[in-house]
Amino acid sequence: MIAALFSEWLKLRTTRTIFWLVVALSALMTLIVVAGVIGSQKHSISGAKNQLDMLGIGSLGIFIALIMGLIVSTGEFRHGTITPTLLATPSRTSIVIAKALAGMFFAVALVGLAEALVALELAIALPAKGVDFAIQAGPAAGLIGRVLVAAALWGALGSGIGIVIKNQIGAVVGSFAWLFIAEGLINAILHSHAINSNAGRFFPFQATGAILNSGTRDPQLLSRAGGIAALGGWMLLFTIAAGVLLSRRDVS
Amino acid sequence: MIAVEDLCKHYGKTLAVDGLSFTVEPGHVVGFLGPNGAGKTTTLRILLGLVHANAGRATILGKNYAQLERPFCQVGAVLEASGFHPGRKARNHLRVLARAGRAPEKRVDEVLATVGLEGAAKKRVGGYSLGMRQRLALASALLGDPEVLILDEPANGLDPEGIRWLRDFLRSLAAEGRAVLVSSHVLSEVEQTVDEVVIINKGKLVAQGKIEELKRGRDGRVRVASPQAKALEEKLAKAGFAVSEDGEALLVAGATSAEVGEIAAKSSLVLHELTPLATQLEDVFLDLTSEEKK
Repeated sequence: MIAALFSEWLKLRTTRTIFWLVVALSALMTLIVVAGVIGSQKHSISGAKNQLDMLGIGSLGIFIALIMGLIVSTGEFRHGTITPTLLATPSRTSIVIAKALAGMFFAVALVGLAEALVALELAIALPAKGVDFAIQAGPAAGLIGRVLVAAALWGALGSGIGIVIKNQIGAVVGSFAWLFIAEGLINAILHSHAINSNAGRFFPFQATGAILNSGTRDPQLLSRAGGIAALGGWMLLFTIAAGVLLSRRDVS
Repeated sequence: MIAVEDLCKHYGKTLAVDGLSFTVEPGHVVGFLGPNGAGKTTTLRILLGLVHANAGRATILGKNYAQLERPFCQVGAVLEASGFHPGRKARNHLRVLARAGRAPEKRVDEVLATVGLEGAAKKRVGGYSLGMRQRLALASALLGDPEVLILDEPANGLDPEGIRWLRDFLRSLAAEGRAVLVSSHVLSEVEQTVDEVVIINKGKLVAQGKIEELKRGRDGRVRVASPQAKALEEKLAKAGFAVSEDGEALLVAGATSAEVGEIAAKSSLVLHELTPLATQLEDVFLDLTSEEKK
């Protein structure tokens, strides 16, 4: 298991995919922070709460964490490296767990880097605009901690989805179609008068919203702990499904 | 060392492997032969735990591949020359496998040198030729310094020099007491490399044994050229021999050159060539697999 995990770690570090994901994430963060600071009135970016909201921009890295998790698994099928991987680690359960952990660790590293970059850019851009940098360490740590928890779960969830779906393009398109279209649509239907259900709170994107929630009471969201449990449940569900499917599949 | 017993595998209604049994002993290079779709690759993948058998057993060193203590270091395998991330450097590909398979990392440079890729070790695999990929696949198989090697078409993409190197290399591995099971379509190459062959067709064992044993009892062919070829062909056919055309000459199956010469002499037919052709592995293979078709 440990050998498989270290191998997964090395796999991620020895292709240019991660480099380009870091570049894309850094460019996106910089663009949003710079545009946000330049394009906003001073009063709307002054004060700890507004600036903490800006720090939360780093949570967009969660989508990159999902993509990275998907790549960790679908890349094996896309390039045929699943064969040497299984020869080196015949325990398919170990591979699924190692990939989930690798996806988790890399997601934390990637999103942590994004948050650090956003904090640094805010520390430079805000005073340059003539606004005091007012973010306190405590609330910032709480926010970043919640973002990292969500990123870790999305990284592992992505690796599970990647083994279940196998096709890289299908997995990426399917995951984002669920996040941006299907989940919202189903949630709206569930909220309609005809059904009037709050079950949509348990969906992955809604659960992520609960984890990242700054503390304001929102009846349409779970509590933070509930959000972690729900998103963790999805992650476990897909990891177990990945384990079962990979164990049963013939690799030919 | 390698034991396949009553192995069966079907994909839907298609029977890929049908009650196959054979063994490979240490110190031997065994050729695994069969026409396309005979079930060779499926059998090798079952041996390596990549494909699940429906019945029977396929063991290496007495165990299923996944049950071996350090499978990657006990069994080396080359299955295809496409299991590489194109953006990863060759040396890193081997480091990834060494780490997962618990092989010493110092072996990475050793095996790169063994397969002659040390100069291209830092090149991304996407830029490799088919021959270089094949060498890299061989390097992966050798990483753990295994006792057993299972190679599926390892000569694919190799140039003549590479094929010769592979032949000598496989012989040297067997001389060290390792067991090598190698599937190939290049029968002339197999004949020069292996000690014995396992021939399968439609998932079933057709023959297993030393090449010389399989050749024994199989009639050879005679190549004969005559300016009166048509008349000679009629006389040979009348004598009960199967005759086919081979360019401007005739190929006579199941006859000795003496028999052909006597028939020609009795009919006063002039001969320009009379060459006995030794039975090749290819002849044995085609005979056995075509008998199966019948």
